[in-house]
Amino acid sequence: MSERTPTISFGSAVPAGGGEVTIDIRTPDLEINFGPQHPATHGVMRILMRTDGELVTGAQPHLGYLHRCAEKIGENVEWLQYLPYTDRYDYLASMNNNLGYSLAVEALLGVEIPRRATLIRIICAELNRIGSHLVAFGTYGLDIGAFTPFLYTFREREWMMALFEKICGARLTYSYIRIGGVFNDAPPGWFEEVARFCDVFDVKWQEYVDLLLVNQIFVKRTANIGVISREMALDFALTGPMLRGSGVDWDLRRDMPYMCYGEIWRDGAYKIPVARGEMGALGDCWDRAWVRVQEMIESIKIVRWCLDHMVDGPVIGELPKTLKVPTGEVYVGIENPRGELGHYLVSDGGKVSVRTRVRGPMCTNHAVLEDILPGALVGDAIAIIGSTDIVVGETDR
Amino acid sequence: MDFQGLHDRLLAINAPGLVGTDEPRKPNPKDKKDKGRAGDPFVIVDAQQLVLFLEVCRDDDRLCFEQLIDITATDPSKDGADLWINVSLLSLKFRHRLQIKCLLPKSAAELPSTVRVYRASQWNERECAEMFGIKFVGHPDPRNILLPDDWLGFPLRKDYEFPKEYHGISCE
Repeated sequence: MSERTPTISFGSAVPAGGGEVTIDIRTPDLEINFGPQHPATHGVMRILMRTDGELVTGAQPHLGYLHRCAEKIGENVEWLQYLPYTDRYDYLASMNNNLGYSLAVEALLGVEIPRRATLIRIICAELNRIGSHLVAFGTYGLDIGAFTPFLYTFREREWMMALFEKICGARLTYSYIRIGGVFNDAPPGWFEEVARFCDVFDVKWQEYVDLLLVNQIFVKRTANIGVISREMALDFALTGPMLRGSGVDWDLRRDMPYMCYGEIWRDGAYKIPVARGEMGALGDCWDRAWVRVQEMIESIKIVRWCLDHMVDGPVIGELPKTLKVPTGEVYVGIENPRGELGHYLVSDGGKVSVRTRVRGPMCTNHAVLEDILPGALVGDAIAIIGSTDIVVGETDR
Repeated sequence: MDFQGLHDRLLAINAPGLVGTDEPRKPNPKDKKDKGRAGDPFVIVDAQQLVLFLEVCRDDDRLCFEQLIDITATDPSKDGADLWINVSLLSLKFRHRLQIKCLLPKSAAELPSTVRVYRASQWNERECAEMFGIKFVGHPDPRNILLPDDWLGFPLRKDYEFPKEYHGISCE
């Protein structure tokens, strides 16, 4: 029998599991459409995979199914009117998108933001980061077969959304952080409830760690899979948890501080979790999941700091009714849950922008899939795609 | 390093293709028409030498731009003769950013692809190409990325006319 087993060279396509699978029969290349309507793509994305048996030998992402012309719309509506569109690119982190756009326009305007508004902005952005990571972590478990943690994470996210509903009336697309500040002040008792949420979350967070993160089945499915080296992460301009998951110590909140993140850092209120490759190779799927889980608890610390330092005062600066932005160009990048969300805005002094460029973190982070999918098993491909924390609304805009 | 320091360093190492700078300035109080310019400072680079310029930026030990955060284009006006290429670089080691602008004539919108220097530009260049009709010579995978393969016209150009129908489906 062994004489008839052909020796095949797969080139770079070595199983990612580290030799747990023996390949002895060459099967013809089969092209498989992963998506567009696959539940693990969390949206509408298609990856054309070339497979040889259970082995992925090539992957070509096809995008654009959720393209909604965000940049073209930016050239056709007024500055303030564009804000609700920012909600729609990364719909799991709308507060952060509002914030990124508002900061970019404010950089051109040169307006002063009231202290209370800044603190409320940070609370909302960090709560939204927790919510986004809860979905990322919960659905990641769901993708690779753990159903229960998903229900747990959505339980806390529900509370987070209820908090947002109390402050702005919407549950998913908030448009709450406006140019010049925030839309309105927090209702009575809101800060106390946020503090209660933080206390409860500390306890619940430990449940996710015990239930999923250090679960042996989860570790087996994710460790040593989809390894992104440090060099690759820099070359592909990965940002956010995917960059820190590869062991690069970089976070815009600390390293290029905006609002009062620098002040919070100097107070020692939060840390930046950077993966160390505890369960396998540095930069594998488990490391990325670990970074997200750790970031949640750091966000809670930032929220607590803001609650402790809350001041009274106005929540929105003085702005003219029709906003005219001075001539100029600006690029402002902020740390979104998924990485650096950049807005490059060009104004000619009119009511409408000349160019609204959205540098979405997902669009850049996803380009790495073409390189890390080949060599994985088909089952691991789901684990790899899930570990990038995919939101197609952001990729396609 | 601040912008002045970066510019000095670029001059000192004689970076290829460096044309000049475009810095924000306050309005001139004597001239009412001069409104000044807000925002970020830019360096202006010759588009055809952009790849060489980026290579220097990446490899120089005092600039050390490890990441190409974004590459995109802008059509500043309908009647203008030029498009802009906007590149944003980030150095994690020294915590500084550099914004680069290149002028590219609309009549010959071609420049060498930067994928050779930074793989990050692969998808952004594809988007730029389909939206502005810019040809990145030497791009490894020059397909459309967000638009369908048979899309006509370049949507983010200012002279773009919205289609009246697409495959028999009326858009009006």
